[in-house]
Amino acid sequence: MHIIGSVSFVIAVTITACDKNGINPKSYGFLIPEHFPQPIFDTGNPSSREGIELGRMLFYDNKLSANNKISCASCHDPKLAFSDGLQFGSAGVSATPLLRHSPALFNLAWANKGLFWDGGATNLESQVFAPLTAHDEMAQDLDQLIIELNSVARYVSGFQEAFNQPVNIQNVAKALAQFQRSLVSANSKYDRYRLKTKGASLTMEEIKGQVLVKQKCQGCHVGELFTDFDFHNNGLDTDFSDAGHEGIYMGRFRITYDINDLGKFKTPSLRNVALTSPYMHNARFSTLEEVVEHYSSGIKGSVTLDPLLPRNGFKLSAQEQKQIIAFLHTLTDHTFISDQKHFLPPNFEQ
Amino acid sequence: MGILRLSVFYATLFNSLYKYQDKLINMIRIFILALISALCPSYSEAKNPPGVMPTTSGELVITFDARIGNKDFALNQDFNIGSQTLNFNKLRYWVSNLVLITVQGTEYIVPDSYFLMEEVDDLNLSGTIKDKMTYPANKRETITLKNVPAGKYKSVKFSIGVDSKFNDNLSLRAGELTIANGMSSIVWMWHSSYIFSSIAGSVKQGAETKDFKVETGLNANYQTRTVDFPAPINSTASKGIVLNVDVAKVFDGIDLIKTPLINAMTAPLMTSVANNQATKAIVFGSETK
Repeated sequence: MHIIGSVSFVIAVTITACDKNGINPKSYGFLIPEHFPQPIFDTGNPSSREGIELGRMLFYDNKLSANNKISCASCHDPKLAFSDGLQFGSAGVSATPLLRHSPALFNLAWANKGLFWDGGATNLESQVFAPLTAHDEMAQDLDQLIIELNSVARYVSGFQEAFNQPVNIQNVAKALAQFQRSLVSANSKYDRYRLKTKGASLTMEEIKGQVLVKQKCQGCHVGELFTDFDFHNNGLDTDFSDAGHEGIYMGRFRITYDINDLGKFKTPSLRNVALTSPYMHNARFSTLEEVVEHYSSGIKGSVTLDPLLPRNGFKLSAQEQKQIIAFLHTLTDHTFISDQKHFLPPNFEQ
Repeated sequence: MGILRLSVFYATLFNSLYKYQDKLINMIRIFILALISALCPSYSEAKNPPGVMPTTSGELVITFDARIGNKDFALNQDFNIGSQTLNFNKLRYWVSNLVLITVQGTEYIVPDSYFLMEEVDDLNLSGTIKDKMTYPANKRETITLKNVPAGKYKSVKFSIGVDSKFNDNLSLRAGELTIANGMSSIVWMWHSSYIFSSIAGSVKQGAETKDFKVETGLNANYQTRTVDFPAPINSTASKGIVLNVDVAKVFDGIDLIKTPLINAMTAPLMTSVANNQATKAIVFGSETK
């Protein structure tokens, strides 16, 4: 009840008529917080309750991995805002540590500039095939997956209900995308304060931190989503020319091959940031203190360093750093990480 | 809850509308075509009594005949191109969004228009959608169009590659699009998207031999080509159209010894290849009667 009491949600069913092909329906089966913008995506995959529920089952199902021992949730734990708390997870089928840090999953309906730390997939519907098939992740044989899913009555009926089609790999992707888009986090202490919910308040220190975050951080961590979903070089290194591992250290350059994109990685949201350590695409920092210290005095210069970042850092006092961190903690959404709708479905058998 | 139910209802309704929109639009187009032909006597052939619209529709075969200059293209065979000798082991490309244009300018948009043209030996696709996978040798140069509205056609329009709507979204199904045949990138390189064309083999110049692999992709390289016929083709009398695809012309201005690997990492060269495919490589060959 306290969601309804403190934040009023709107249900948005938008029908934007007519792109050049004619009818172009968009409808959302999830709740859009009143202080959030309208999500804009057009992936031919309108959400439905059945699709989200099917995606939720798939998200937790070990059948999605080659050894039937790991699921999406193995690296995306709902209690950690769907991150894994590790620097480089090795939960994958090959048990080899990955080269990038597992990102948190929430407010993805607004993430329309690409998924992955370098934006290599345009949308969730295309993104999912990478972790499903990657050798060091789920390494799943996609034909085998369809056979396995077809052996479960709940899936056979679930795909029919959600898509009016038999089990197929495209609909696996669509259902997982629908579930992930339904993960909306917007009920932190900050949100209740922001929406003037009765009894909600921030401390003086948190308010001072909010002012600093607005001044120093929200050039990239924009608006109520606290991210622009874009790609920036935030001064972690001076050199991004190491082309090893298929260019994984080069940032967005490995996707665009544009020299101006060297060292640029996606802006993660500041929401739930206290839950999603370690930080950065390579999990270089293990605490928020280290992160704030980086922006204060640790910025490393290079040609593509974001112009919003002073080359010598923001030079924050110890007190300012404390205030910023105090505010960041107000962005933790405890209802999001305890929402049973996000967890393993009841009566689910692996 | 009433509103939520309504939204789910709308979601389902629009989902099904969405699925059928292309078919619907095509039906509407065909209907309009029929209407125009009924209303405009000039559309009918002179022999037909005025006002009678052709109601027949039939099959038309579009052949993409791969060649090297005047010779038929073949795998594992030496071809001399300039000062270099090329030997191919793979030729694959997506042909999409085929449109036949009548002499009146009416377009017949071929539904579900995504076709993989290819000439390949057994392909090892292990590690794509499964650990071990072999794609069997195949030669495919023809597209059989069914239910082509009867008419006199002056040109054919098509694209090499996959349009952005489908290229950006691997969960959409249409035509022969699939992530299971090695013509997409689903893991970490490039964008998660389709590979528009892939041509590979070896190149020899003097004493030097190199393996080459030339691939195109990315939305910016999706290009459309219109091929005009020397004379209108009557779909009811004709069996089909042969387009000559000169693979040598794909490499115009490209030195495969110098740059044997062309892909997203060599963006300007990839664009040159895509331009060659769209502007020079494919021309009208003949009409099949």
